[in-house]
Amino acid sequence: MSKNGKAWRNWNVAVTGMNASPESPGPGYAVARCLREDPEFNGRIIGIGYDVLDAGLYARNICDGGYLIPYPSAGKDALFERLKELHEAEDINVIIPCLDAEIQNFIALKDELEKLGIKMLIPSKEQFTMRAKDQLSKFCESVGVLAPESKTITNPSFFDDCESQGFEYPLMVKGIFYDAVLARNAFEAKAIMAKLVNSWGYPVLVQKLLCGDEFDLSAIGDGRRGMLGPVMMRKRALTEKGKAWAGVTVEEPGIAEVARKLIHGLSWSGPFEVEVMRTHDEKIYLIEINPRFPAWIYLSHAVNRNLPILLLKVLAGDEELDLAPAKTGTFFIRHAQELIVDLPAFESMLIDGGIASDVIGKHRTVSAV
Amino acid sequence: MQKQLAELMTTLNKNQRLSKLAISEKGFLFDPETGQSFTLNYSGMQTLNHLKRGESLEDTAKHLADEFKIPHDTALNSIEAFLIQLGRYI
Repeated sequence: MSKNGKAWRNWNVAVTGMNASPESPGPGYAVARCLREDPEFNGRIIGIGYDVLDAGLYARNICDGGYLIPYPSAGKDALFERLKELHEAEDINVIIPCLDAEIQNFIALKDELEKLGIKMLIPSKEQFTMRAKDQLSKFCESVGVLAPESKTITNPSFFDDCESQGFEYPLMVKGIFYDAVLARNAFEAKAIMAKLVNSWGYPVLVQKLLCGDEFDLSAIGDGRRGMLGPVMMRKRALTEKGKAWAGVTVEEPGIAEVARKLIHGLSWSGPFEVEVMRTHDEKIYLIEINPRFPAWIYLSHAVNRNLPILLLKVLAGDEELDLAPAKTGTFFIRHAQELIVDLPAFESMLIDGGIASDVIGKHRTVSAV
Repeated sequence: MQKQLAELMTTLNKNQRLSKLAISEKGFLFDPETGQSFTLNYSGMQTLNHLKRGESLEDTAKHLADEFKIPHDTALNSIEAFLIQLGRYI
């Protein structure tokens, strides 16, 4: 049994980020899938999304219930009110936030949610800010990790003479929360900037282009400068947005070392993803640190290092983390699939803002085994 | 060419990378450090298996010369050319 008297195996876990578009899926569905497929987990999984078309909300084989919450721009108070309603309906024990844009609101609500009995393993506001895209170069320098030279800009005229400032084309233009697009000239760069500002606001980041192989590492920071359960993969194929479409688990000591330095420097608490580029001269550059599980996290379950389950164990104060040795050579290939949604379920999501787990339960086919 | 070869052997021996390469009986090569995979022909597979066991280039060439009944120099040149080709990707 855990410290709070209830085994993590029976916890009700709410997971955000249930959008699952093929081009750039949110991590929530994969996190929920990791929980559902763990043989020891018997709790309920509540999917949380922002849009009635967030597919994971209707995935009856994965989620016991699905609910909408207000967009992050509505602020923490609106989120708290809605979470109280969901807690009343579903008796939530843990929330796993899975989207960058919402994390700050959840950080602000951590203590209030804790009072309701809802746990989260998330970073502090300071930790979150230190790894923000516009702060990353400075932080990397302080912990001895290489990062591509980058610059925060608010004025598109920068692109007219950026070459005189050492930023030659092609270069990467990045949104403050999401998206990174390659720009080959000033015309392209300005158009990309306008689009990114429209989606994510000011500022945007400009980053020198690096050539090499892309690797990602996901793990959990224990908040005491330690890194738990690292799983790393090399991207084998990318979508047009540069997201991993296929990947394979690897064991690259240099990348683990970079992640260790970062997590130690941040005293990071919670799940994270480190994206790095290994250049042809074998130098490892940090591209970014994401403050959540990645969309490819199901791969961790496939190599017996189920990180969402590990997160529950850490929250429960479970001493036996049972981490299997890192297994290399396991591939994932992402594919799109149609999820069938009947009219009453869609209506319930649209009109009531959710589908309670007891309602979904009535529709679910229950195995006799 | 000798410089390239020396650099590659240094890379392969660093962190026991050569010994960690997974080579199947069908010639599928997987590098667990980079995630890259390759297909090898029989002679390439034999070459890497000998090198993985810690044999020198000279000894590996001797084994290949015996097995394929070719002159030692031909075997050694072929091994060097193969390794340089591999070095472009690994």
